[in-house]
Amino acid sequence: MKGRRRALAIEIWLPVSLLVIWWFATKNGSFLEFPPVRLIFERFREEYFFGRFSSDVLPSLVHLALGYGIAATLGVAGGLVIATVPWAEAAASPYVHFFRALPPPAIVPISIILLGLGVTMKTSIIVLGAVWPILLNTIDGVRGLDGTLLETARACQLGRRYRLTHVIAPGAAPQIMTGLRSGLQISILLMAVSEMVASTNGIGYLLLLSQQQFLIADLWAGMIYLGLLGYLLNALFNVGERVVLKWHFGARVGGAL
Amino acid sequence: MIGTASVVAGLSLWQLVAASGRLDATSFPTTSRIAGAGVGLLANRPFWSALGHTAESWALGLLIATVIAIPAGLMIGSNRFLFASTRVVVEFLKPIPVVAILPLALLMFGTTIKMKLLLVAYGALWPLLIQTTYGAHDVDPVVADTARAFRLSYPRRLGFVVLPSAAPFVATGLRLAAVHAFVITIVAELVAGGQGLGLMMFMSDNALRYADTYALAFIAGLLGLSLNFVLQRLERLSLHWHSSQRIEG
Repeated sequence: MKGRRRALAIEIWLPVSLLVIWWFATKNGSFLEFPPVRLIFERFREEYFFGRFSSDVLPSLVHLALGYGIAATLGVAGGLVIATVPWAEAAASPYVHFFRALPPPAIVPISIILLGLGVTMKTSIIVLGAVWPILLNTIDGVRGLDGTLLETARACQLGRRYRLTHVIAPGAAPQIMTGLRSGLQISILLMAVSEMVASTNGIGYLLLLSQQQFLIADLWAGMIYLGLLGYLLNALFNVGERVVLKWHFGARVGGAL
Repeated sequence: MIGTASVVAGLSLWQLVAASGRLDATSFPTTSRIAGAGVGLLANRPFWSALGHTAESWALGLLIATVIAIPAGLMIGSNRFLFASTRVVVEFLKPIPVVAILPLALLMFGTTIKMKLLLVAYGALWPLLIQTTYGAHDVDPVVADTARAFRLSYPRRLGFVVLPSAAPFVATGLRLAAVHAFVITIVAELVAGGQGLGLMMFMSDNALRYADTYALAFIAGLLGLSLNFVLQRLERLSLHWHSSQRIEG
């Protein structure tokens, strides 16, 4: 018991002292860029939970969910198809590698040219940026599968569909999850970037607006909001990954017996 | 073979669709016009000075991140108390997107290189710090104890025992950080208006010189590709001595 309390103390002394230092160092509001913490949280509550929730926060989250959802579906499904059709992989690989290496924000100006300013553009940017790491990792995951496993599945006369859903997809799952994680990070980045460059609403727009109007406490509230969003989505992803891969490892242990 | 054919087919298809006149020619230029715009860019000074700005912020930002993250990672990873103390802070700060602090950097430094460096260094710091910490965590205890028994000083132990042992992790961290730093440099230029390729892309878009925008995006992709290629080569070349790369006879 005592040991556990000590371990907890070691884990939290630093974050707690950082928060305390932040609180007291900015208490008098003597630094322009670092407003008092109390003020930041007041603005945070007013702006992001009430005032701007339906006009700015919600649309951002909808674009994010739509864009990431489409990218994940396309990436995983496309990756499974490409990796299992021999010539498709050779044909697709230059494109996949090129777009994977292209810095995702470089897509933004082109999407604006092609799609204008609107929901379609903001969602498409997320899809176009996030789909590549998912696609690439799915292809790599399938290619890395044990050849014996695939041949056994074929020898057992499992149908193509069944092999895909019960042998190939679960086998590639760990690497698919790696791709999905990096796709999620890119999605959050592009959501904010597209709103900062070309939008009149959304979290990114609000952030730049408060910076331009020198509403520093609002700016900090927005930064904390975006930071929390990144943190929470990542935590949610970790939970999802544990669920998916737990089943995967369980199946593998069962198979080995 | 199939790869080359597929690239040629893709580019020709683009050319045919764009030349057919079904789509708006200004917003969807033909490949030949984009290639022409690309050659025009490469022949002019503004492009090279923008590329220089981008490369400068990328390299300096990465350097700052390296100078902070590698020593810090070695210390944190090789000390149980430091590891437990910093875990919560690192876990919390790591998933925060860099764009979240972009407005603050812009407020503090304006559209200067300092603003870009703050963002690039901050973004490149986390992958490098985390990889170095993992690597330093992994040192063979016998080796660590031997070094201590020989009374090697703390900085020497870090530099000559922990660092070589952690090298493969550090190399992976550097590769991730370098790619990430490139992306953030473009964001800082495109969104916050720092000098460089990202800003050039934004300006060409605003000036309706769309062929230039496409050409710049293509060039950025090629830069990203060569960066990946060079980094992977370097990683393999520089680690040939490490036991993880050795093939047992």
